[in-house]
Amino acid sequence: MPQAFIDILRCRALSVLVGLLFMLAGPLPAAADEDEASVWLERLGPALNMTSYRGVFVYARGESVHSMQIAHRYNDGVVEERLVLQDGGSGEIVRKGMNVVCVLPETGRVQLDQVIPSGPFAEAFTSQLMPVNRWYRAEMKGEDRVAGYDVVSLALSAKDPYRYSHRLWLEKSTGLLVKSHVRNAEGEVLEQFQFTSLHIGEDIPDSEFEIRTKGREISRTLDEPTPAASVVQRMNGWQLGWRPEGFMPAAAPRSGKGQAVAFSDGLAAFSVFVEPAGPVTMPTGASKIGATTVYMHQVKEGDNAFLVTVVGELPPQTARQVAESVRIEDSLALGAGES
Amino acid sequence: MDDRLRETLSAMMDDEADELSVRRLLSHDSQDEVRAQWQRWQDVRDLMHDGHSPAHGMDVSVAVRELLDGRGSATARPDPAVQDNKASRWHWPAAAMVAMALLVGFGAGAGWDSSGAGPVQPVTAAAPETSVQDQPIREIALQGLDEEQWEYMSRYLLEHAQHNSVGAGRGAVGYARLVSANGVGY
Repeated sequence: MPQAFIDILRCRALSVLVGLLFMLAGPLPAAADEDEASVWLERLGPALNMTSYRGVFVYARGESVHSMQIAHRYNDGVVEERLVLQDGGSGEIVRKGMNVVCVLPETGRVQLDQVIPSGPFAEAFTSQLMPVNRWYRAEMKGEDRVAGYDVVSLALSAKDPYRYSHRLWLEKSTGLLVKSHVRNAEGEVLEQFQFTSLHIGEDIPDSEFEIRTKGREISRTLDEPTPAASVVQRMNGWQLGWRPEGFMPAAAPRSGKGQAVAFSDGLAAFSVFVEPAGPVTMPTGASKIGATTVYMHQVKEGDNAFLVTVVGELPPQTARQVAESVRIEDSLALGAGES
Repeated sequence: MDDRLRETLSAMMDDEADELSVRRLLSHDSQDEVRAQWQRWQDVRDLMHDGHSPAHGMDVSVAVRELLDGRGSATARPDPAVQDNKASRWHWPAAAMVAMALLVGFGAGAGWDSSGAGPVQPVTAAAPETSVQDQPIREIALQGLDEEQWEYMSRYLLEHAQHNSVGAGRGAVGYARLVSANGVGY
């Protein structure tokens, strides 16, 4: 992680600590609740990487449901992971540290190459200590059982209408995320993830981390996260006039041409793409897939038209507000006229 | 009003009442009560659709009776709900839900989901485009996109999912989004 970024995070961490001290000063039961929730949240990131587990989980958004088998272990400081699709076409993703190999079904209408994680990745997210409490009201929701394990449940309710609320279920002894809901303001569940079978802390043999599906293999090495300064470079030629408070620039997906920048508030993330409008005419408006909104609209700058797309786990209103705040400042920097 | 009459009334709402039961309904002693019930349901239904109630305060019994008696004169203005074809029947799916979401007003559109690939062709309740933030958002049904447009959109979905996948601190959730974005099921 770049030093500048770490410094920013340190500042954030400090302000969270100060905030916690204030909370502790006033012995409000709600504060104690938030406190407990924060402790759980801090365990979440490391638990996802440093716990060894295997199981099957179900992921549903909109009307599509997928189930996947996962094996994950933390071996000598290296994360090893293998995911196998359980429905639809066969396919799998194997990751060893920063190396990722994908074999995915051809059934999707998207080219395999596009599916591969192509970094630079927001690896920083996992270690980022985001002041989630500032944008979400954390609340302990009691205990439960998921996939045979005792879990604690916490609700993270959005404090403003710009983001969705989350509900997380963490395994009690490790803090591993075993179930999650993304909900809108009406409490409707838009996206859910849940382990249906799970074994934590087992010794998983090496053979569990080998590609077994036949098919075209594509491997890629994840890039190191780019320095924070390059965010400015990526936004070369355009400016974001507004974004919901708390969303910080993060490592961005790499776009073919044009510019893409990603933002995260620690829980939700959205990406903004600005490209010269291509030969394909895209409608203006929002599409929703579960908790994911895609908002597209065209901006005219002189003779050039640009397509602004916001994709993220955001309410449609927010996605639109973000998209409409994009101002084109330098058409040439965006590669206008090249296509 | 007994349950049978209520049923008839309900069937009329759905344009499915038979002539005999309608006659029975119309000859019911307390027409005021029947009218009131009819209007209540009509109001609810209109609320579900577009929020205005043309049937409010309108007595349609005379017109319906005339129609049944074959005296459908030019003056007889049957209730539109009774006359409407099947298309305007009580549709609970998309259209109503969208209208409901719009009416509720908060984050208009938060209730809909355009990914539904079910047998019911999704209704694109496109709201007029406007820059006012409180106005409803135009919805793009994924099914309405052509192949090229879908490719275009899915590329963005993927890139976003990729970015989420490994690092976003959500581990498997990120991967799942990635695979889900691969277009299986749309």
